[in-house]
Amino acid sequence: MAKVDIIPATRSLVMITGAAGGLGKAFAVECASRGWNLFLTDLTSAPLETLATGLRGSYGVSVLTQPCDLTDPYSRTDLFARIQNERLRFWGLLNVAGIDYEGPFLGQSRQHIRTIIRLNIEGTLEMTHAVLAFRDPLLPFRIVNVASLAAFSPMPAKATYAASKRFLVDFSLALREEVRPLGATVTVLCPAGLPTSRECILGIQAQGWMGQITTQDIGWVAHTTLNAALADKPVVIPGLANRALIALGSLIPASLAASLLGSRWKTARRRRGLLGQVAAEPVP
Amino acid sequence: MQTDLAQQTYLVTGATSGIGLAAAEILARRGASILGVGRSAERCREMEIQLGKKYPHAQVDYLLADLSRQSDVRHLAEQVGNRLTAQGQTALNGLLNNAGTFTYWLAFTPDGFETQWAVNHLAPFLLTYRLLPFLQAALWSRVVTVSSASHYGARLNWDDIQHRRHYNGLRAYGSTKLANVLFTMELDRRMGTQFPVRAFAADPGLVRTDIGFKGTPAFANWVWKLRRTGGISAEQSAEGIVYLLTEPSLQTASACYWKHGRPKSPSRLAQDFLAASRLWALSEQMTGLAEGVHHGKS
Repeated sequence: MAKVDIIPATRSLVMITGAAGGLGKAFAVECASRGWNLFLTDLTSAPLETLATGLRGSYGVSVLTQPCDLTDPYSRTDLFARIQNERLRFWGLLNVAGIDYEGPFLGQSRQHIRTIIRLNIEGTLEMTHAVLAFRDPLLPFRIVNVASLAAFSPMPAKATYAASKRFLVDFSLALREEVRPLGATVTVLCPAGLPTSRECILGIQAQGWMGQITTQDIGWVAHTTLNAALADKPVVIPGLANRALIALGSLIPASLAASLLGSRWKTARRRRGLLGQVAAEPVP
Repeated sequence: MQTDLAQQTYLVTGATSGIGLAAAEILARRGASILGVGRSAERCREMEIQLGKKYPHAQVDYLLADLSRQSDVRHLAEQVGNRLTAQGQTALNGLLNNAGTFTYWLAFTPDGFETQWAVNHLAPFLLTYRLLPFLQAALWSRVVTVSSASHYGARLNWDDIQHRRHYNGLRAYGSTKLANVLFTMELDRRMGTQFPVRAFAADPGLVRTDIGFKGTPAFANWVWKLRRTGGISAEQSAEGIVYLLTEPSLQTASACYWKHGRPKSPSRLAQDFLAASRLWALSEQMTGLAEGVHHGKS
């Protein structure tokens, strides 16, 4: 890939949501190392401040932070009000915040289901709408939406999550056409499971060699995704094995893919001893 | 029983298992006062009681710190100062930078550093820096940093020193161990003859510890299990390290890198004085000890 490591000579910011999480932090570090000024948000303040201090010291960039619960309209309004009051301008938005409560649909509380929809879809769309309104008119605007490999077929045990990510893929591709005249680009990232927490790593290990070949390090994912966004690529699927899986998957009907994935997940969950947790009755 | 180290205080990081625990035990046996550092309160307490029972003439205290967090490292240095004062001491006789980690998958610390870079290099750098006043207050003192033979194949890529963009756990580990030697050389140079502080890097040899099991997949676990069967015990390895911490005659030694108490030549890259001073400046910047020029990439 061509090296497009440009550093805009600007005080405008790049907004990163979910910045204290595994992938969000990787994006924040990668952006800072390119000399980009940042606005970081996540649920709580302390981890954002710790990260911001590290980035300022190591890379000399300016980093603003504000905690925000993106599932909460009032919390979002506070965030947007600050942006307006401080007359902040943006040239990039990385929608990294997202959530999944893995497990069968009926095993999840309605609160959990609501949170998935509100964060992955509603929060992402509102943030995109708001930050586009505060874009720096002098610079091309870059949007990266983090979807998932799960977006490419129906996923038993991740039904709501996978569908929410499918929503983001379609939304991103459509928005990309709409905002092109503004000089804005949209890139949607579809990674496989990333080794960002103990839980995730155990999940990858439970998939055996498949887990090994489909998994990439977050630093590389962040690096290549930013290059792809600067080069106006529509979709980023990190990893050859994952691109091959998606290509194969597109050849079979969605119902068959769902059935195959369903049995694969059952096997993986059995290996992790989680199958007993399947709830027979809906959880209130 | 040899109790030649009475009235002397040593700080040992990673002192709840492996080489660190073995070194703490040898020091305690010789009557020294030990400050051990660990992450888990429970394991720290266990070790404090265990060593305290075995060596009642030694003073053994444990301090809690997660060395992947710079705020913890700073807090640790403060606590060390407080403990010394509480014991009526002004000096620290030795610092053993032993704690180290291995991560198979790239992970970032809360401060935004690659985990091995933060724990294996930045933490000892920052801790040593903060403890220098206490080390300089001793009649003579030592900073021993546990490096590894894996520094031999390693290099520092200044454009991506933390291996963020193309991560490989073992290569990243090797870089941090190379950084340990360069840090040691630069520290020793900076102390010169003006201060009584000598710095040595220790090659522990292949030791039967659990470092290769830290969050690695089954295959890598198996490889490490096989490899470490040829290793020596932590106690054997610690003997050579404690020697570097305590042997008075080494105060005028010229070697920087040691294995089992004997000087050894480190890699060619580990003897690059320019790289050592560049790494020092970069580390100051990464630990918030220096204001000024930013290198942009790292």
